[in-house]
Amino acid sequence: MTTGGTYAGGIWSWITTVDHKRIGILYFVSSLVFFLVGGIEAMFIRLQLATPENTVLSAQAYNQLFTMHGVTMLLFAVMPMSAAFFNFIVPLQIGARDVAFPRLNAFSYWLFLFGALFLNSSFFLGGAPDVGWFAYANLTSSQFSPGHGVDFYILGLALAGAGSIVAALNFIVTIINLRAPGMTFMRLPLFTWMTFVVSFLIILAFPPFTISTVFLLFDRMFGTLFFEPAGGGDPRLWQHLFWIFGHPEVYILILPAFGIISDVIPTFSRKPLFGYPVVVYSGVLIAFLGFGVWAHHMFAVGLGPVATSAFSGLTMLIAIPTGVKIFNWIATMWGGALRFRSAMLFSIGLVAMFVIGGLSGVMHSSAPADLQQTDTYFVVAHFHYVLFGGSILGLFAGVYYWFPKVTGRFLNERLGAVHFWLMFLGLNLTFFPMHFAGLHGQPRRTFTYPAGLGFEGFNMVSTVGAVVTFLAVLVFLVNLVRSLRTAPTAEANPWEASTLEWSISSPPPPHNFDHTPEVTSRDPLWHDGIAPPPPGEEEFHMPNPSFWPLVVAGGLLLVMAGALVGLPLVLLGVAVTLVGIYGWSFEPIH
Amino acid sequence: MRVHQYEKAFLWLGAIMLVAFMIALLVTSVAMGIHLPGRAGEVDPLSINSIEPFNNPGVREVGPGRYEVVLLGSAWSWNPSEIRVPAGSEVTFLAASTDVIHGLHIDRTRVNMMLIPGQISRNTYRFERPGEHLLICHEYCGAGHHLMSGKVIVE
Repeated sequence: MTTGGTYAGGIWSWITTVDHKRIGILYFVSSLVFFLVGGIEAMFIRLQLATPENTVLSAQAYNQLFTMHGVTMLLFAVMPMSAAFFNFIVPLQIGARDVAFPRLNAFSYWLFLFGALFLNSSFFLGGAPDVGWFAYANLTSSQFSPGHGVDFYILGLALAGAGSIVAALNFIVTIINLRAPGMTFMRLPLFTWMTFVVSFLIILAFPPFTISTVFLLFDRMFGTLFFEPAGGGDPRLWQHLFWIFGHPEVYILILPAFGIISDVIPTFSRKPLFGYPVVVYSGVLIAFLGFGVWAHHMFAVGLGPVATSAFSGLTMLIAIPTGVKIFNWIATMWGGALRFRSAMLFSIGLVAMFVIGGLSGVMHSSAPADLQQTDTYFVVAHFHYVLFGGSILGLFAGVYYWFPKVTGRFLNERLGAVHFWLMFLGLNLTFFPMHFAGLHGQPRRTFTYPAGLGFEGFNMVSTVGAVVTFLAVLVFLVNLVRSLRTAPTAEANPWEASTLEWSISSPPPPHNFDHTPEVTSRDPLWHDGIAPPPPGEEEFHMPNPSFWPLVVAGGLLLVMAGALVGLPLVLLGVAVTLVGIYGWSFEPIH
Repeated sequence: MRVHQYEKAFLWLGAIMLVAFMIALLVTSVAMGIHLPGRAGEVDPLSINSIEPFNNPGVREVGPGRYEVVLLGSAWSWNPSEIRVPAGSEVTFLAASTDVIHGLHIDRTRVNMMLIPGQISRNTYRFERPGEHLLICHEYCGAGHHLMSGKVIVE
């Protein structure tokens, strides 16, 4: 039995860590690297499109870059950055000492990292996938995509997807079982609530995707005909399976950001969240309806009048809970004592930008209007407003908000404001003109466009905007490095926030809480909502470091690599995985 | 439960908008019969080049002022790549793909549909004014996707 203790140093302690805070930091650093990779890919795309008939890139390179930009940003940047916050913040918010399955948590991280590295290694091993992140069959068949790019896509996403499913199960169990006494569901901070909802989305949305990639793998490697029209298969099956995953995926990307700003806005308005239960229910409702709208990505396929009308109506419905949230955030700020710190600026930025993205989203719900916009830059504008203007701004709000809790240091507020305004300007310059380019008919996913069609001005402005956005990210990196070199001065609750993570020191000790808190209110730090601890020291057990999760994940990586190299490597990978599982199962508890 | 009157008004406004959306949706799709272009049949993609009417792609007059265009998309070209119709004519496009998924989009018209291998897509449009429309592939179809274009010339 231990009480307290400190972290061991050195690289080995990070590799074997099972501590949720350290895993959170690992997720954050990795996702930031992939955010930069995806950003550089975006810069190449914008440079190529700056002028008509440009030749900065070849068509081949362009197609690889737009595919990898999408995959990287969605699955290796935004999702793991959300996971970084799930890991670091959720156990603190519910008064727990770790997640329910700490080693499984480390396993999720390694799977994500290996999947991301594996897929990105394809750039150097014969070419990245060039079929779009949506990888529509039957372009992905071995006949039309003979290289290994699509195989890297299938196998890399299988690894990362398994990591996501495992992590989601872990957080569901954690949030149900490890809440401190008195932390009822209707007292959970909104960020924890949205983590809970997103975890259910992940375990329901990723399996259809995994299954469809397995089908595709069989088509490519063993000659099955799931998606092969010449043999009686149906490429529409891929589209349905993909979008049953793909649409909930956009809520997997946005709901964590909604959760973050639902914690940030009350803190910097000095008011409890307006209509807490309605914000919770609308989050649940968005997730529920999110599974009934996938075919609005497929209106151009020709689904027939009944399916088209039903999906059109359901898509309109989903605007309601989203609109409810917007009004709750505005009502929270209404009459509050607002403090415009960087975290608050990013949160307000999200509310404003998401309204623009939401409005173009409602336009898409009308099937005849959507048909006009299908595969034009109007769609690109729409989803970048919700993903960049929504998810990314929300995640940056979280970075500025929780940075003192994670590191004990503050990010510079002046640089934070510069970062926000540059990014706000940059993203609007980049994405607003795309609405017009799209309505003028500029198609997506074409590596160049002829002069004289009226696209030149819009594209040049977009490219200038992308450069401004890139500068904003550089300002953030400078801020990050500068802050990490200052002395830690943050006290426990620098923002005077209301939730449990702010009741302990910044950064928190490895065991988080000396005494498991007993909560008596929804905003415990504002309402004397923590019962006084019983006398004496509390006894608890902290998990040991373990390298077995890394071994199992490494074994699975070898299996995936073996699928491209040869059977011996697959067998070696299976052996390593089995040894890893054995070692994991019988690891002694000290 | 006491609800503020502004909030109540807002709830009503939201509810009315929702109902109006749904009524508009039902009226346009059921009563007025406005539907998106749908699939108009199946065709074997392996032998499409020998199956009526796709063995003979092109424009043909099917009645006074009415034309039928049989159009084949293949990576990465259209057959035919140039379509000429007189102004004021009603043109029915009967299109299919010979290999991967393509998209048929005619600039500044509402002709926009996906061509799924194995599926026939049909859409009708009236070209009122003379001019030239770009006909492009609208669904990413590989390395030469950007090259896949043609023309509709309205005379």
